[in-house]
Amino acid sequence: MKLEIQNVSKTYRGNVEALRGFRLEVGPGVLGLLGPNGAGKSTLMRILATVTQPTAGRVVWNGTDIKRDPDSLRAVLGYLPQDFGIYPNLTAVEFLGYLAAVKGLDAASAGKRIGELLELVNLTDAARRPLGGFSGGMRQRVGIAQALLNDPQLLIVDEPTAGLDPEERVRFRNLLSELAGERIVILSTHIVSDVEAVATDIALIAYGQLVAHGAPEALLAGVTGKVWEVVVPSAELAELRNAHRVSNTAHRSDGVHARVVADVAPRPDARALEPSLEDAYLATLAAHRQRAAAEATA
Amino acid sequence: MKSPRAVYALARADFLERVRRYSYLVTLLFAVYLGYAAGTGQISLRLGDYRGVYTSAWIGAMVSLVATTFLSLVGFYIVKNAIDRDRRTGVGEILATTPLSRISYLLGKFFSNLAVLMSMVAVLAVAAVAIQIFAAEDRAFHAGGLLLPFLFLTTPAMALTAALALGFEALRFLRGGLGNVLWFFLWTFGIALPGITGLAALDPSGLWTVYQSMVPAARAGIPGYVDSFSLTIADKTVRVATGFHWTGVDWTPGIVLARLAWVGAAWVLVLCGAWFFDRFDPAKSRRKVDVGARGESTAAPVAAPDLRDVQGHITTSVHLTPLAAGARHSGFWRLLAAELRLALKGYRWWWYAVAAGLLTAQLAAPLEVSHGPLLAVAWLWPALSWSALGTRETHFGTGQLLFSCARILPRQFPAAWMAGVLVAAGTGLGAAIRLALAGQSAGLLAWAAGALFIPSLALALGVWSGTSKFFEGLYTALWYIGPLHRVPGLDFTGSADGPQAGRYTLMYFAVAAILVATAFLRRARQLRGT
Repeated sequence: MKLEIQNVSKTYRGNVEALRGFRLEVGPGVLGLLGPNGAGKSTLMRILATVTQPTAGRVVWNGTDIKRDPDSLRAVLGYLPQDFGIYPNLTAVEFLGYLAAVKGLDAASAGKRIGELLELVNLTDAARRPLGGFSGGMRQRVGIAQALLNDPQLLIVDEPTAGLDPEERVRFRNLLSELAGERIVILSTHIVSDVEAVATDIALIAYGQLVAHGAPEALLAGVTGKVWEVVVPSAELAELRNAHRVSNTAHRSDGVHARVVADVAPRPDARALEPSLEDAYLATLAAHRQRAAAEATA
Repeated sequence: MKSPRAVYALARADFLERVRRYSYLVTLLFAVYLGYAAGTGQISLRLGDYRGVYTSAWIGAMVSLVATTFLSLVGFYIVKNAIDRDRRTGVGEILATTPLSRISYLLGKFFSNLAVLMSMVAVLAVAAVAIQIFAAEDRAFHAGGLLLPFLFLTTPAMALTAALALGFEALRFLRGGLGNVLWFFLWTFGIALPGITGLAALDPSGLWTVYQSMVPAARAGIPGYVDSFSLTIADKTVRVATGFHWTGVDWTPGIVLARLAWVGAAWVLVLCGAWFFDRFDPAKSRRKVDVGARGESTAAPVAAPDLRDVQGHITTSVHLTPLAAGARHSGFWRLLAAELRLALKGYRWWWYAVAAGLLTAQLAAPLEVSHGPLLAVAWLWPALSWSALGTRETHFGTGQLLFSCARILPRQFPAAWMAGVLVAAGTGLGAAIRLALAGQSAGLLAWAAGALFIPSLALALGVWSGTSKFFEGLYTALWYIGPLHRVPGLDFTGSADGPQAGRYTLMYFAVAAILVATAFLRRARQLRGT
């Protein structure tokens, strides 16, 4: 089972480049796709989900170009878009039943599957209510259920935890971990903690390009020994931000506890910390921006 | 108007948002076409078999009446999306949190609506000048005669249209397809109003105003003329009464005031609309049943648990049974049943009751009534179900979910179309049974052609335009002319007999096939995602 993204570019009207020569090979497991807003994540998701086509390059699913034969992928695809709608007059069961029919599931399998999925996303009690009355989080859970209807080999979820309460978010993370056995799960988000919790592999995307790709440990290794905590008075925080990359701050009675990513200790009293994926993410993006700026200047 | 600057800013932003869409170009092209149709005599102002010499006054009156009638009908559908756009984009909720009053908001939208409509009128005014230059029947150019009708006839009619479009949007039950269908009947009523009441003041379109000026002049200027006056899509050649140089409406203060009163009426409508406008409060815009469901489903707010605490405790203990190998190959009929359920879902009980009543009446009434007016009404009743064909995915935002599924084109597309056909067949089944029992095979074939034609038209217009409004407007107009007035060729129910009835049946089969094919091609392109 392999998904190959080969030199994919996408240019929208007005010459807006959303993706530029993006390359990646994905195998079974959870791939966390991280990137800032406007990085091209959703465009890549739509291309992988066959909703739109690349301007250049190709996507190959188990040896088949999905542009030539999109149904080869669609038959085993589960997709949760970032923005999606529902039919407000249908109940959750009817809506999932409709999509199950569209996906080609037979009645018996669909009925059983829908029951399990509604239980899985904690919507059994609301199963017979019209979707028009659902809250945003409940609709999102219906979206998660529909993505799993056909027992997909490739599951693409774009910002899946948006609108979910913390408990449901954890439930969904656990679900993704359990699902990622012999299938590929691509989780696109800008919430680093979601990726940290479930991803077996991480790809960083910025300005439509792949910035980094590897196991979480590999990304963390890049900032090991480079994360520090310093305590400064509030008045000195701006100066510290100007001089160093501050990834987080917390106001305490003894001053501001600042988390700093730097090659050497920013101050003599700085305390070394265990790096987090967020530190690695910010440091990698900053390094990429510096490289891009240097190349542009050259 | 408490905040003129806010009203101006709102109107300007809304107008710019509209004119920067490609659809606005189509709107302007429609105005150009109307001007062309008037210039080439496809639409003409007639006095029986005659028309007057193309003086500035005649051309001004003719083209401005084209605007007040045709543009008000179509323009309503064009501008009836000002509030809806803010609702869909979420901008409305942002505006609702500002100090902007409901009246200011609706006034801003009203001016934007009016600006869009008047931009189309401006195109027609330019066309009027061009007609006089190129027709060259009367070289004397009178700016007042040519342009005052646009000011006094067209502008009030456009103001009224702009306000009514807003009023329809402000009222929940007129916001959707029902309003689109009802508008056609309201528009027809408005055109006929002075004729029905005999009151010249009740003349929103201005037709009666021109009639009262032109007809007495024609009696004196055209020998043998009897009081015939019409603005028609030309179906026969019109003769030029070479001696009749009409000099235009005498714009007395009384006439001008009567016309300006319609601007006042538009103003009042906007104020009334503000009274009903829900200010984007979802609780007010939902149906009672939805509010109830929402209330039940919304749990009391709880403190957000610390993720580190709950991480270990929340498990997905439910087991997902893997799908069997053959589970993904269900038949087409299951999908058809799902599409049919979707097509018929969401109506109140009385909708089904009326449909059932019409069906029963078709079975009980005499054949000519069953196949005539009863079938006509039975095939108007589900118009909103058909208008969702091809647009449902856009309207509800389910496109990405559906279009990422396998075999959409060979399965879901025909299933949706067939569901539409089944709705037509089901609601008109009584007439079909009566025709079959009477052994009228030609009538039955015509019925079948109609049952195929309606959903095909809906699907094609829906897939190509992405909105249900085109079908709702066009179908209602076609239904009014064809099945209701039994105009041969346009009566797609096949109840209008005539020597060419068989040919028309074949024509509707062919048109249905062409419409489905064009919809198929468009959907295929959408699925390619280019």
